[in-house]
Amino acid sequence: MEKVRATVDKKPQSAPKVAFFKSTEKRDDKWSTLLVEVGESQDRRAFAELFAHFAPLLKSFAQASRQDGWFPGLAEDLVQEVMIKVWQKAGGYNPQKASATTWIYTVARNCRIDMLRRKCNTQHLPLENEDFWHEPDEETPVSLLRQKRTEDHVKQSLGQLPREQNEILRKVYLEGKSHAEASQELDLPLGTVKSRVRLGLQKLQILVAPEFREELLND
Amino acid sequence: MTKVLNHHPTPEMLVEFSAGTLDTATSICVASHLHFCKCCRDEVARLDEVGSQLMAISSPETIDDALFDKVMVKIDQPQPVAEAAPAPKTGISGFPVHVNKLIHNASKTPVWKRLSSSMEEAKLFTGQNKFEVALHKICAGGVTPKHDHRGLEYTVVLKGSFSDESSVYTEGDFIIRQPGDVHQPMGAKNGECICLSVQESPIKLTSFLGFFLNPWLKVKPA
Ligand SMILES: [Zn+2]
Repeated sequence: MEKVRATVDKKPQSAPKVAFFKSTEKRDDKWSTLLVEVGESQDRRAFAELFAHFAPLLKSFAQASRQDGWFPGLAEDLVQEVMIKVWQKAGGYNPQKASATTWIYTVARNCRIDMLRRKCNTQHLPLENEDFWHEPDEETPVSLLRQKRTEDHVKQSLGQLPREQNEILRKVYLEGKSHAEASQELDLPLGTVKSRVRLGLQKLQILVAPEFREELLND
Repeated sequence: MTKVLNHHPTPEMLVEFSAGTLDTATSICVASHLHFCKCCRDEVARLDEVGSQLMAISSPETIDDALFDKVMVKIDQPQPVAEAAPAPKTGISGFPVHVNKLIHNASKTPVWKRLSSSMEEAKLFTGQNKFEVALHKICAGGVTPKHDHRGLEYTVVLKGSFSDESSVYTEGDFIIRQPGDVHQPMGAKNGECICLSVQESPIKLTSFLGFFLNPWLKVKPA
């Protein structure tokens, strides 16, 4: 209980930082700018440009899946469903929080899981994966800054990871394998798979031990 | 909401949650923890960057022009009104959206059942049977019977707090119990405690044993 009070007390001190970081945090790459245009004015030309860029990547993401429930038509279905959602939800996109690429990726990830689950399940599923991502976030300047740094760092460093770490991250994120499945497939002990994932992520400056995460939150 | 918690999901769970490979029941628990834990939310947002970047640098596939036309036709169609049920407004205040959605599941409304003088349980229908998902309510100051765990169990405190031999758990704390762990939770004195718990289905354990025992019994000479 005391901890709660301590963090609440700190809040007013950090408030002025907001204005300072706000202007620097906005994503202004081509795709993020186009996505804002779609959101603000249902701009069809902007949407067509986004489609031309993202549809081929989304198709590739769908075809990379090696999960239960995969079916040949998944790729086209996914491209359609995701791009329609992009059109419908673009108004809620906030370029301060994420790049268009990341925003569209998260829509695609949720769609892909739901499509695969629907294919595998005979039972009615009361939740969609999107339901797990409803947390409205009161972003702090520190978390926005950190997020932007992570984004830049991942972009620069992903290509420089050792082959085996890169391979395992692709298995997890693109093929959609759990750690356990990856360990079976690569014929490696589960512990080795976990540590490869962790090492890779730490090189990308992700996966911060909880004790340090708290510092990040409050510094 | 910027409360600092002591008990978090493992890093592997956050990775699998971000990659979308975590099973539904465990995802329900992780998402419930994220509702309360800003630092894990930030961690997951960072993890999402990995998937995003991997997608961005993957080799693009050829897209048939007709697909773009199809999408354009669809976005011009009037939106089907209320295609999905609107988020329940009557949920328990402070609970994560997805938990309230499960509580208000129109086809399977959960029912509270008394397990002991100090504890009630309401099973939630989640459309999977790998784990049993339920809400547990411990009354203020209630002492539950000492019990051990036959299977893996995850618990997230949604309201109030409880304690056991090793710690006090407050709203948002994520507790992992391994098979064989023995503990005796006690509700806090100052109010009821509601937890979400996910347990490896006991049915699964039985059939697992049955599978290994039966063939062995068969070959045993009479
Ligand atoms: Zn946490």
